Amino acid sequence: MTDIAGTTKALSAIFMKELKHYTRYPGNLAFLFAIPFLFTFMLSAMGTFVGGSNAAQYFFQRTGTQNFFVYQILGSAIWIMTWVVIEDLGSALRNEQIKGTLEQNFLAPINRFLLLVGVALAHIVISALIFIGVVFATVLVLQPGSLLSLFLAMLTLILGLTPMFGIAFIFSGFVIRFKEPYAFTQIVNMIFAVLAGTYYPVSVLPSWLQIVSRIIPQTYLIEDMRLIILFNKSLVDLYGHFILLGVMALVYPALGYYFFKRFENRAKVTGDLSKF
Amino acid sequence: MPLVEVQALSKTFETKEGRLFNRVAKKVTALDGVSFTISKGEILGLLGPNGAGKTTMIKMLCTLVQPSSGDAYVNGFSIMKAPGKVRENLGVMLTGERTLYWKLTGKENLEYFAALYHMNREESAKRIEYLLDLVGLKDRADTYVENYSTGMRIRLSFAKALLHDAPVLLFDEPTLGLDPQSSRLIREMILDLRKKGHAILLTTHYMEEADLLSDRVAIIDHGKIIAMAAPSALKQSVKSSDIIEIEARNLQPEIVERLKTFTDIYDAVALFNDSAAHSGVIKIHAEKGKEVLPGILDALVRRDIGVTKVTFIEPTLEDVFIELTGRGLRD
Repeated sequence: MTDIAGTTKALSAIFMKELKHYTRYPGNLAFLFAIPFLFTFMLSAMGTFVGGSNAAQYFFQRTGTQNFFVYQILGSAIWIMTWVVIEDLGSALRNEQIKGTLEQNFLAPINRFLLLVGVALAHIVISALIFIGVVFATVLVLQPGSLLSLFLAMLTLILGLTPMFGIAFIFSGFVIRFKEPYAFTQIVNMIFAVLAGTYYPVSVLPSWLQIVSRIIPQTYLIEDMRLIILFNKSLVDLYGHFILLGVMALVYPALGYYFFKRFENRAKVTGDLSKF
Repeated sequence: MPLVEVQALSKTFETKEGRLFNRVAKKVTALDGVSFTISKGEILGLLGPNGAGKTTMIKMLCTLVQPSSGDAYVNGFSIMKAPGKVRENLGVMLTGERTLYWKLTGKENLEYFAALYHMNREESAKRIEYLLDLVGLKDRADTYVENYSTGMRIRLSFAKALLHDAPVLLFDEPTLGLDPQSSRLIREMILDLRKKGHAILLTTHYMEEADLLSDRVAIIDHGKIIAMAAPSALKQSVKSSDIIEIEARNLQPEIVERLKTFTDIYDAVALFNDSAAHSGVIKIHAEKGKEVLPGILDALVRRDIGVTKVTFIEPTLEDVFIELTGRGLRD
């Protein structure tokens, strides 16, 4: 078998193994699908409680749209997707470490990057399914948009999720070295939710926090998705963000893998691969 | 040329002990300058008590743990310089049943790992069918591993190690926790693999297993190989003394120290079968065993230790270990 054929087969096997595990624990998928709606309903109630009869007007003044539900669902869905990306990649390796299967994978003559990419690809599919399930259903019911904008939204999603995997690779390294995946990923996911403008425009943040938010791919992803779906913006309008996301999509995974390798090498010295 | 050549491998782990702000670094030597070779068609048994360094040895050979010093070669490839090539040439079975995906079927597990070893579809389908048949799981191939018994999982794990037909096989405690029937099946398969020319490293703390399977046994203790030879040669080395095995109740560990003060006794160890019930076996290495036996029985009776059986036995590998270390393998 040629190197390329062998690598493709290994990648496909890792991808399929992850998907099988996801579908064989269906409760988790149902949970991920429900969460964006529940958060949006909670925020809707909170907005009405705080803003009273003027809530919708205030919302329009700050966001430029009266479509509160779609605006929040977009933020929620992307937040949950990035949560899946960052937490599931790290916890997938952690679960394998606890089960004893991580060592079995590391025994095989494959590049570690392949292992990460295979798991990541499966989670891109899962994330895309959540996105399709949550956002498209909502958008189609509440605000029928053109098929082109939905296509552009998917393109943005894939471009924006790729650098998020770079961040996830670093956390996968943390997990191998320090264990405790949730301690790291949940804090970071909450910080990202605050900084990326999940439920409000980033412009409401203090100016120094707005600068920090600009290194998080999730910020662009949420903004662009709202601009595409709620304001019918095109690829031409968003090219600046697309270039930035493209650069991040190249740099972040490379950086992530570099840190992952460093943590892995350290784990080989300390024997941490089999410790839990 | 040997298929495995280990050259002065050492491993020191650094651990931290103490409370949060008063942590003290402590170095633990798991392996200390270990060297050996394994030839084609040879089984080397690595025998030693828990914590002796057997698993660390296996994990360094399969590139999961990096040595502190030394090197090893698997089919000519260095574990330091060519870890990928080493992994291609190794089939490894690590301890335990949790080395498989429980939410996949037995066949799916093997298909997954076959893909990681770059086996093509036709080749892996044939091999998987053959291996499932070999380990007696053909009828349960499509059952989730979570529904397997412990013995079935270990047999599947064994089959996984044989997937890509590697020239060198490492088995870490392959029969641990298995029922006698499954253990016998695994042992027969290991002997068959030797006939086919594989070089096999087997770690075990079952002395009978090491004795039965190994062409040579390396006895490892505190990270060092303290003896290495054919099992018969090792046992011959303790033939000069008589070995008395006394089965007893109400056994007290202190009695061993008392027995060691007898002039004709070289070594004595207590091996508990049931520590709660204080029942077990005392093994005594003595010169002129028959002459010293009355004194031993007298000492036991004086301490209310109930003797149920006294036997003069042929030396086992455990006796070799006792002779070399003054301790039993189960200590």
